[in-house]
Amino acid sequence: MSIQEETKAEQTKAPTVSVPVNLVRLSKVGQRPDFLDYLVQLWDRRSFILFDARARVQSGNDKHHLGSAWLVLTPLLNGLSFYLIFGVFLGTSKGIENFIGYLIIGTFTFSMSTRSILGGAKSLTSNTSMIRAFQFPRAALPLALNVRELIANIPVTIVMLLFIIFTAPAEEITWRWLLVVPAILLQFLFNLGIGMLLAPVLLKIPDLSHLLTFVIRFLMYVSAVFFAESRFGKYPVMRTMMDFNPIFQVIKIIRDSVLYDTTPAWRAWEVLALWALGSVAAGLFVFWRGEESYGRV
Amino acid sequence: MDVSEVTGGHIAEPTVVVDDISVVYRTKNQTPGRTNARTSIVKTLRSRRLGDTAVKTKALNKISFVANQGDSIGIIGRNGSGKSTLMKVLAGLIIPDTGTVYASSNPILLGVNAALISSISGAQNIRLGCLAMGMSHAEIDAKFDDIVEMSGLEHEVYHPMNSYSSGMGARLRFAIAAAVDPEILLIDEALNTGDAQFKDRSKQRMAKVTAQAGTVFVVSHSLGTITGMCNRAIWIDKGDFIMDGTPDEVAKEYRNFIWRMNEGNADYGRKIRAELMASLPEMRTTLLPNGWKRSR
Repeated sequence: MSIQEETKAEQTKAPTVSVPVNLVRLSKVGQRPDFLDYLVQLWDRRSFILFDARARVQSGNDKHHLGSAWLVLTPLLNGLSFYLIFGVFLGTSKGIENFIGYLIIGTFTFSMSTRSILGGAKSLTSNTSMIRAFQFPRAALPLALNVRELIANIPVTIVMLLFIIFTAPAEEITWRWLLVVPAILLQFLFNLGIGMLLAPVLLKIPDLSHLLTFVIRFLMYVSAVFFAESRFGKYPVMRTMMDFNPIFQVIKIIRDSVLYDTTPAWRAWEVLALWALGSVAAGLFVFWRGEESYGRV
Repeated sequence: MDVSEVTGGHIAEPTVVVDDISVVYRTKNQTPGRTNARTSIVKTLRSRRLGDTAVKTKALNKISFVANQGDSIGIIGRNGSGKSTLMKVLAGLIIPDTGTVYASSNPILLGVNAALISSISGAQNIRLGCLAMGMSHAEIDAKFDDIVEMSGLEHEVYHPMNSYSSGMGARLRFAIAAAVDPEILLIDEALNTGDAQFKDRSKQRMAKVTAQAGTVFVVSHSLGTITGMCNRAIWIDKGDFIMDGTPDEVAKEYRNFIWRMNEGNADYGRKIRAELMASLPEMRTTLLPNGWKRSR
């Protein structure tokens, strides 16, 4: 049927060519797949995600003389500086049992969220060359970044636990120390979800990256990283915010199980799990909806 | 279902159908005052507010064409005419503002700008790029030596990529993208950076794709490359589709046009351009339903 129209068309001066598009053989290029297909495609790229994460962990500190040692040194120095300022000079340690451990857990745990959320939010803007070079489900980028931070966090967590074992009031090692693992995994999901929610917004409005730093700083204060959580007792609003702050709940769970040898409250797990699953679901959906727009200049 | 088969005429199956695509870039028009050396802060602020306007540039304007099995199509045009944008649209990396691209399989784009991770070695980048395109570790292991050979890198493949020369980087990217055996291959300027040996290798690669009933698109400023390697050429200018024909015909008209423009006879050049555009056939697509099969 096409050939007849083509020959007919050739006789007139500016002819019209009719092209049949057989959708059995041809499909739209770059079209966003169904949500479930998208998740399947993402699963199919799992080795890419893992390899990308591992390669970047290894090369991340290549330029520095101490190399990967910075993965441990940075949070360590952070913990020490906070200890000096808040523990020694300002004396916020009042009423906190085993303040060094308290502080180390707070800063180490919080820094994982900071790095993951900031990195995840910038995963689209900082990978434009990858996006324009290869066709793959873009959610692989924030996912790879969060996996990378999770891998980088393993030595950090080990140092954190060693620090607690070897500093002053000796802690007893109980089965509760194992609760650190599910807590960090839930934290990973939460970071991932928030990163995926922020990445498309940041691509559209790059100015927001400046604001993000302030939001994170605020989040740090309502996470009781370096002072007693009872400090906000006078302000019920702050108290409620802390109660519903998933990062504070992660920190609290780890402190309870590692430092104070108490089984973390069920409520803390509930808040954390709700945030984690909710943000990943919302993040994946929002990220998928914008999939087609990420290659634009 | 296919009339051409019944009538016995040789009609190759289309691999890519480009249906009326337009791409608009939004950018800022900066005031000329910005380039002056010293202006007071107040002035700069005011001029920024008043002068900088958002402008829309049409990178591609209603482009339609069909590419068939076995075609190797050269795309020519002046700088900024939308060649690279067209490649990105074909590869699905940019979704056009209007129109659709249909393809029989996922087109693979190899461009010189496709940066990988520069701090890791070439070998790791080969693995990363192949994984990004959806290959498995086993497939990569099987093809690894071929890719290294194709890239022409020797022990350098274990050096970090930021120590590579631009030609070495381009060769590596070409080799990686060619590794998936794409049915539709898009080559953006990559051939300009390689040496003679590499050009030979990439020519063989292109011939292999077209021999397997695939389609190759080549963007190049070298008319020699296009007349030598392609069996069809497309000329686009400032986002407009000007001409589609054999490489020799198109190259002749293009040279003529450029010569007129350079000579200062821009009006005559524009006349050629308008006439060629007017003589283009109009293309209409009709969608054949795909029956019970879901489109993917």
